[in-house]
Amino acid sequence: MSNLDKAIAELRACRIIPENEVRELCFKARELLIEEGNVVQVDAPVTICGDIHGQFHDLIELFRVGGDVPDTNYLFMGDFVDRGFYSIESFLLLLCLKVRYPDRITLIRGNHESRQITTVYGFYDECLRKYGSANVWRYCCEVFDYLALGAIVLGTSTRLERVPSISDTQQTEDLTPTEDDTELEILNADNVITARFSRNRRRQVMDPTELTSSSPSSSPIQSTPIRNGPAGTGATSDSNGSIGNNGGAVFCVHGGLSPLVETIDMIRLLDRKQEVPHEGAMCDLLWSDPDDIEGWGLSPRGAGFLFGANIVKRFNHFNDLSLVARAHQLVMEGFKEMFDSSIVTVWSAPNYCYRCGNVAAILELGEDTSNGGTIARSNGDVGRSLGDSAFQNLQLPAEPRPGPGRRYRVFAAAPQDYKGMPAKKPVADYFLVSRFCRLGKKRQR
Amino acid sequence: MSDLQKSFARQKFDNLPIDPPLPPNANMLEQEDRDSSSASSISSTGTIRPGPGQGLARKRPDANSESYSPVPWHSFFTTTLKLSWVHSPFIYHAYYTPPITPEAPLFVLHHGAGCSGLSFAACVSHLKAIAPDIGILAADARGHGETQFRPEYGDEELTDGKLNMSLERLADDLEAVIELLKKDAGWEHLPNIVLIGHSLGGAVVTEVAMRGKFGRKVLAFAVLDVVEGSAMDALRSMNAYLAARPQVFPSLEAGIEWHLRSRTIRNLDSARISVPSYLKPLASSDGQTTKYEWVTDLAYTSPYWNDWFGGMSRKFLEARGGKLLLLAGTDRLDKELMIGQMQGKYQLQVLPEAGHFIQEDVPEKTAHLLIEFWKRNDGSLLVLPPKVGSAGN
Repeated sequence: MSNLDKAIAELRACRIIPENEVRELCFKARELLIEEGNVVQVDAPVTICGDIHGQFHDLIELFRVGGDVPDTNYLFMGDFVDRGFYSIESFLLLLCLKVRYPDRITLIRGNHESRQITTVYGFYDECLRKYGSANVWRYCCEVFDYLALGAIVLGTSTRLERVPSISDTQQTEDLTPTEDDTELEILNADNVITARFSRNRRRQVMDPTELTSSSPSSSPIQSTPIRNGPAGTGATSDSNGSIGNNGGAVFCVHGGLSPLVETIDMIRLLDRKQEVPHEGAMCDLLWSDPDDIEGWGLSPRGAGFLFGANIVKRFNHFNDLSLVARAHQLVMEGFKEMFDSSIVTVWSAPNYCYRCGNVAAILELGEDTSNGGTIARSNGDVGRSLGDSAFQNLQLPAEPRPGPGRRYRVFAAAPQDYKGMPAKKPVADYFLVSRFCRLGKKRQR
Repeated sequence: MSDLQKSFARQKFDNLPIDPPLPPNANMLEQEDRDSSSASSISSTGTIRPGPGQGLARKRPDANSESYSPVPWHSFFTTTLKLSWVHSPFIYHAYYTPPITPEAPLFVLHHGAGCSGLSFAACVSHLKAIAPDIGILAADARGHGETQFRPEYGDEELTDGKLNMSLERLADDLEAVIELLKKDAGWEHLPNIVLIGHSLGGAVVTEVAMRGKFGRKVLAFAVLDVVEGSAMDALRSMNAYLAARPQVFPSLEAGIEWHLRSRTIRNLDSARISVPSYLKPLASSDGQTTKYEWVTDLAYTSPYWNDWFGGMSRKFLEARGGKLLLLAGTDRLDKELMIGQMQGKYQLQVLPEAGHFIQEDVPEKTAHLLIEFWKRNDGSLLVLPPKVGSAGN
């Protein structure tokens, strides 16, 4: 058993590895990541995951629900650290897996993979607490600077294959076999289909109990147009185009789009090996949010922008994309499709911060095998030779391209091992006074 | 603490975009504190705190009485106002600097419980240094500072002889002060307004923003170091705290010194301006020695504490306009604010180096954040990037 496998075993058991091993691991990881472009190319099939935020036990649950590495090909869209109590274990486990199986796991950068943010939201403190020094934090931050900014998933299928039997337990006592025109499926943590939407809406099968149990949407966008799906899905609206087998590429990024970025190529030109800046394209990619507005708007977060449906549709069209997958926003249902399924938010931290009461989701995209596995579709490079003129006066097609078949697996928080958690921070009697006053008083007496 | 950690701490703060402007004495304190504290105490909150066994009463080198002398208000504001409707029960006292251009915004500041408008004075000097055009209005709330109550017009404001301190009335007062200023200044229209409230003031500006009386004139509002969930938790220990703090100070200097030694306020320069306005002379029997007591009897406001903070998170998220939550030490969001933050509904800034009185402890950084926040939310200043389709033309 190699050192790396030992480290993986230790981390899987939620135990930290020695500082010198972290150093070595981070060094190896940087060597790997430096070879990756700003936009990593990933081949389907792939399972796309959103924010983790140091919720180690939920990450293990995610692997249980989605399949283990290297059996399942994963793409994590950033925000591995902060807020949860196990940022170190979570990030180092992902990093170990990356070094061990570089072709089976992709990590891209989130806005929390930053020195400034981790100093305030927990990761830095956790490193000091668990290692007694900030060295591990520093090693990890150096790795953050090398993480890719986005990923392009190629070779996705518009068709959903039958649910592979992850655990050989109850195969869905289906419901007819999945047909070619199934666009979207939602499964629970026990591998049972709870909702299914066909591209042509001929068939919809839902488990009514599951649907009624989903709480009212508290998603970022309140006034979602009326749709037939359960909360979080917009799949049944109008992406019922012709049934093809290859969807366009899927662009994955932590936050969203940037007004400074018209093409995927522009992202490839950025110098990413730096702390996340306060403004500019790199900042926007990690900070922006979709919203029900026209064009661009101000982000209430204080960084990045809001962008509307027309922005996403143009971006997808110009770059020959069928979908933007992003994370960054808590969605109570785990995922949320918007703008006629042109963009989806995937959130993978259930019961966020141990108190938000949300479920989590991961998104599985299947592989298009119709051409013997060769990739016929775009890689986001379209229009490269045409220059700017290609983007002027272009009309959007009446029918958006058919999106890839999408299988969401929704899961709840894993039982927590509260033993290892730090005691609740003392209540700050802060609303009138310094929280250290009383300490001072005691000493004075 | 090892040299390595210290050098790291320096490096860490060097990496921040704006250096935390620690006042000279705070710098020194930090050094002392960190020398004697374990690494874990830094790590727990990232906040500077006295190390165990370190006597707070120990004199610091600069602790001569000279340095605790009060500083008057007039180097920070242009004027003071006494605002009142005819026969209204209050004469509101406010510190005021008018906006210089018609486009310049008016920053309306509301202090926390037991404080006064001068709680913002140190911050105001930095605000004006960064953005000289802006106007600033910092009023004293009822029962605070120099705002006067006229019982002859205000029967309905009294319950069992005590002033009504409900959030509703405090918000009414703030609206009234803004209206009165408009009348007093002879403005046809109000300038754009940025509401900023510290602690209790945060609850008041949230209420005013939620009511929306001034419509789109309120560009944005900022709340300094108050979160409903943790404020409610903190209320339980408030009475014990109030009972433990001194009721009387032999002099204003002693009051200033107490605020610094107890680390209630961590910036000498600010405490010298603000603390004198929190205290008033106590009528003495011999008519010679003057002692000082608190202007505001906080214990008697206790029936209103739940009212001040209850439902604040919901209102904060629902009110329109840009929103900034500025927290000291560490982030202590309650569930509603945590969900809101992770859905990107407001801006959150945490200042690990500050105590509860953020605007007093780190006035320069607070001022920079507030100006940046205003500029971001002022539609006339923000130029959005061109639409995708028009690029390259």
